[in-house]
Amino acid sequence: MNGPIRRVAVGVFVCMSLLLAGVTWYQVVRADELRGDQRNPRPALSERGKERGLIVAADGTVLARSVEDPSNPRSFMREYPEGRYFAHLVGYSSFAVGSSGLEAAYAADLRSRRDLTISDLVAALLGRDLRPSSVEVTADPELQRAALDALGENRGAIVALDPSTGAILASLSSPSYDPTLLLGTDAAEQWEMLLNDPANPLLDRGTREIYAPGSTFKTVVAAAALDTGAADPGTTFDDPVEFRLPGSNATISNANGRPCNNGETATLFEAFVRSCNTIFADLSIQLGAVDIGITADALGFNQDIEYEWEIPQAVWNTEELAQDPAALGQSGIGERDVRATPLHMAMVAAAVANDGVAVTPYAVHRIFDADGTTADETDVTELGRAMSSETALTLTQMMERVVTEGTGRQAAVPGVRVAGKTGTSTGSGEFSNPWFIGFAPVDNPSIAVAVLIEGTETSGESASGGSLAAPIASELFEVWLTQ
Amino acid sequence: MERRAEAITTAAAALLAAFAVALVNFANGGSVDAQTGLTFLVFALAFGTLFVAVRAFAPRATPLLIPPVVGLVAIGFFEIYRLDPERAGLQRWWLLIAAAIAALTLMLLARGTTSILRRYRYLILVLSIGLLLLPNLPSDWGVPLRGLEVNGSRLWIVLDLGFTRMQFQPAELAKLGMVIFFAGYLADHQRALREAHRRIGPIRLPEPRQLIPLVLAWSGSIFILIWQRDLGASVLMFAGFVLLLYAATGATGYLVAGGLMTLTGAAAAAYLFDHVHRRVIAWVAPFEHYQDEGFQIAQGLFALGTGSLTGAGPGLGRPDLIPNAATDFIFAAVGEELGFAGTVAVLALFGLVMAVGFGISFRSRDTFRKLLAAGLTFVLAVQVFLIVGGVLRIVPLTGITLPFMSYGGSALVGNMVLIALLLRISHEEAT
Repeated sequence: MNGPIRRVAVGVFVCMSLLLAGVTWYQVVRADELRGDQRNPRPALSERGKERGLIVAADGTVLARSVEDPSNPRSFMREYPEGRYFAHLVGYSSFAVGSSGLEAAYAADLRSRRDLTISDLVAALLGRDLRPSSVEVTADPELQRAALDALGENRGAIVALDPSTGAILASLSSPSYDPTLLLGTDAAEQWEMLLNDPANPLLDRGTREIYAPGSTFKTVVAAAALDTGAADPGTTFDDPVEFRLPGSNATISNANGRPCNNGETATLFEAFVRSCNTIFADLSIQLGAVDIGITADALGFNQDIEYEWEIPQAVWNTEELAQDPAALGQSGIGERDVRATPLHMAMVAAAVANDGVAVTPYAVHRIFDADGTTADETDVTELGRAMSSETALTLTQMMERVVTEGTGRQAAVPGVRVAGKTGTSTGSGEFSNPWFIGFAPVDNPSIAVAVLIEGTETSGESASGGSLAAPIASELFEVWLTQ
Repeated sequence: MERRAEAITTAAAALLAAFAVALVNFANGGSVDAQTGLTFLVFALAFGTLFVAVRAFAPRATPLLIPPVVGLVAIGFFEIYRLDPERAGLQRWWLLIAAAIAALTLMLLARGTTSILRRYRYLILVLSIGLLLLPNLPSDWGVPLRGLEVNGSRLWIVLDLGFTRMQFQPAELAKLGMVIFFAGYLADHQRALREAHRRIGPIRLPEPRQLIPLVLAWSGSIFILIWQRDLGASVLMFAGFVLLLYAATGATGYLVAGGLMTLTGAAAAAYLFDHVHRRVIAWVAPFEHYQDEGFQIAQGLFALGTGSLTGAGPGLGRPDLIPNAATDFIFAAVGEELGFAGTVAVLALFGLVMAVGFGISFRSRDTFRKLLAAGLTFVLAVQVFLIVGGVLRIVPLTGITLPFMSYGGSALVGNMVLIALLLRISHEEAT
C-alpha cells in the first residue's frame, strides 16, 4: 500500500513544484512587468502613501506639505501651496519624475521613518517619535513672491542674502513652473513639456547656471586694487575714448562710446560710479591677474561653495590671464571667460556689506521634529575675509555713489541708503544680460541681492543693468525694509 | 532533546508572529503596543496547551509537525492583522479555541486510540453528513440554529442564543469526518476493491459493482455543489476520496475514472452554473476581464509581482486592494509584503507538513491508520494546491481557504484537529 501512497506523495510534490514555479514566474520573471502595469496602483500609492515632513518658512508659511488623501486613507499627496514661487528653491518630490531642490537635498530628513530600515526599527524600539522631520527655510515668502513678480516675463534670477549670516532671503528663477504639475497622473507628460520649453523653466538660473558677470565684476577688481594699495579712489587714469588692448588690435570702449570723464584723466571713483570699461581694463592689466585672482578666490571664485546642493564654480582663470594681458583687460570688466552664478555675485555684494568678510550661503535654518523641537540647526560659517575693513568701507561709499548719481540710480529707495553696482554682460545672440548687485541699508546692511536678467526679446536690445535690473533691486529693498 | 528543539522552534515562531505584528504597527504609524504582547501570549498559550497535550497524551509523536504549523499560523496571522486588526482579534480567540479542541482530541484519543475512530466510522459518516446538511437549515425559522447564505454559497450555520451569536462552517469538520470514514471503509474493503477488476488489454478496470462507492462520493460532491454552491468543498471531497481509493487499492483505473469524472463534472458545472462559469472566465483571462470577473486574480498577481523578491515589508504593501485578501488571497497578500522569500517559505513549510504527514503514513503498520494519515495529508495538500494554484492561475479559484493561514475560525479548528490526528497516529506507530 505504501507504493500507491508514495506515488500520490510524488504527485503532491510535483504539484508543490508547480506552485514554486508559479511564484517564481510571477514574483521573479514577470515581477517588473506586473509592477509596472498601468492598472497596478501600488507603485504610485506606495510613493504617495508615505508622509513627508513639512517645508516651512520662518514666518510659518507652508511651502510643502503632505495631505492625507480623503478618498484613500493612509495615502498622502504632496502639496506646494506657494506654487511657482518656490519651485526652484523647495523643488518637488514626485514619484514619476524624481525630486529636486530642498525636497531632494533634505530627502533623508523629510522621509517617512517607517521604511523598516534598521535605524528606524531601533528608533521605534527606543520609543522615539517616528513622524518625519520638517525643514525650516530662511527665505522670506513675501520677498520671494515680490521678486518673482518683479521679474515678470523676463528670464532671469534673483538671489538675496542676509550679508552677515549668508542666509538666503530669496532665491528664484524665472520663468518658473508649478511643481504640483509634476505630481499628478500626467506628471511625465508635464515634465516632458517643461523640458522641451525653450525658456527652460526647470533650470534654476540663480544657483545652477553661470553667466558672465559684466561690470558687476568691477566690484571685485576695485576691491583688489584698494586692498593691495595699487590704487585708491582718487588715483587717476588716462581717459581715452578707446582703450587698446596690449598685443592686439582690439579696443575696449565705454557703453556710451565716450570717454569716462573729460577725455584726459579720470579717478578710480569716477570710473566705478560711471562703470567705465576703458579704465577698468587698464586697471586690471596694471593690477595683474594674480592680485585680482586672490580677491576673487576669497570671494568664492574657483572653488566649490558649500550650499544645499552642488553649485557650479565661479570662474576667474588666474593662470591663463596672467599670460594674456589682452584677455585680462576683457576679463577685468566681467567679460570673456569670467563666470559666476547670481548666487556668487550676491555673495560678492554681501562681503562688501559685511565689513569685507564673505559668508557661506545656506537656505535651511533648521530641521525640526514633529513636536517642534529643533533637531539640527545650521551654523553660520564664514568663507573668510575677502578684503580689509577699510577696503569694504571705501567700496561701500563708491557703490552708494553708483546708486545716488551713477549707473544704478534706479536702484534707489527713498529714505534708504542703498549701495550697488550695475552690469550689462554680453549674453547670447544680440541681447545682453542686465545685472545688478547691491545691498541696503548702507549703515547696517540687512540684505544683499544679485539680480540677473537673461537678454531676450522680452528684455529688449537696449536693456542694461541700470535700466532693467536696478529697478527690480529697488523694489526688493523696499519690500524687505518696510515689512 | 528533540522535544526541546521543537519547543524552541515553536517559541521562535510565536515570537515571529509578535515581531511581525510590531512591524505592522510600526509601518502604520503606531509603535510597539499591547497587540504585540497579546499576540505573543496567545500564541504561547495556544501552542503551549497543544504542547502539554502532546506530552501527556501522545509523547512519542513526531516533533516535526508543530513548528511548521506555528510558523504558518504566525505568517498568516500577521497578514490578517495587517489587513484587518479587528478580525485578527477574533482570529486570536479562534486560535485558542482551535488549540483547546486539538488538545481535547488528543486527550480523547489517548483513551481509546485511533482505532476508536474506525469502530465508529458509520456514526462519524452520519454525523459528517449531518454537519454538511446543517447550512441548508432555513435562515428564518424560530430555532436558534440556522443556516446562512454568504456570497451566494450556503456554508455557514449561525448559533444565535440571543446574548451571543456564533458562526461556523460545519464542512470544515465534516471533511475530517469524511476522511475518517473513507479510511475506515477502505481499510475494510481494500482487498475486495483491489482484486475485483477486469482486464481489457493492459488496462485494469474495476468491476462495475465496485464503482458504486466512487459514484456515491461523486454524487455527494455534486450535491454539495448544487445545494450549497461550494465548489471548493465539492472538489476537495471528491479528490480526497479518489486519491485515498487509489492509495488503498493501487488500481490506476480509479485515478483515471476519478479524473474523468472530475473533468466532466467541472465542465458541466462551468457550463451549467453561472458562479462556476465566472470563475473559469477569471482564470482564463483575468486581465481581459479586469473590471469584473478578473479583478481579484489580477490584483493578486499585481500584489505578487510588486512584492517581487523581498516584498514591501510587513504593513508597507497594499494587499488591502485585493478583494477578500484575508481569506481567499492571503497567499498573494503574503507575497506582496514578504515577497518571493515569503511565498517560498510558506510553500516550504507546507511541504514540510506534508512530508511529515506522508512519513507518518508510510511508517504505519495498521492499514486504517496508514490510510487515515494519508487521507488527512491528501486533504491538506489538495487544499493548498487548489487555493495557491488558484491565486497563481494554475487552476480556477474554487473558494477554498489556505489552511492555517487564512482568516476563519472553523477552518483553523478543523486543520488543528487534523494535525492532532496526525500527531496521535505518529505516537501510536512509535509505540
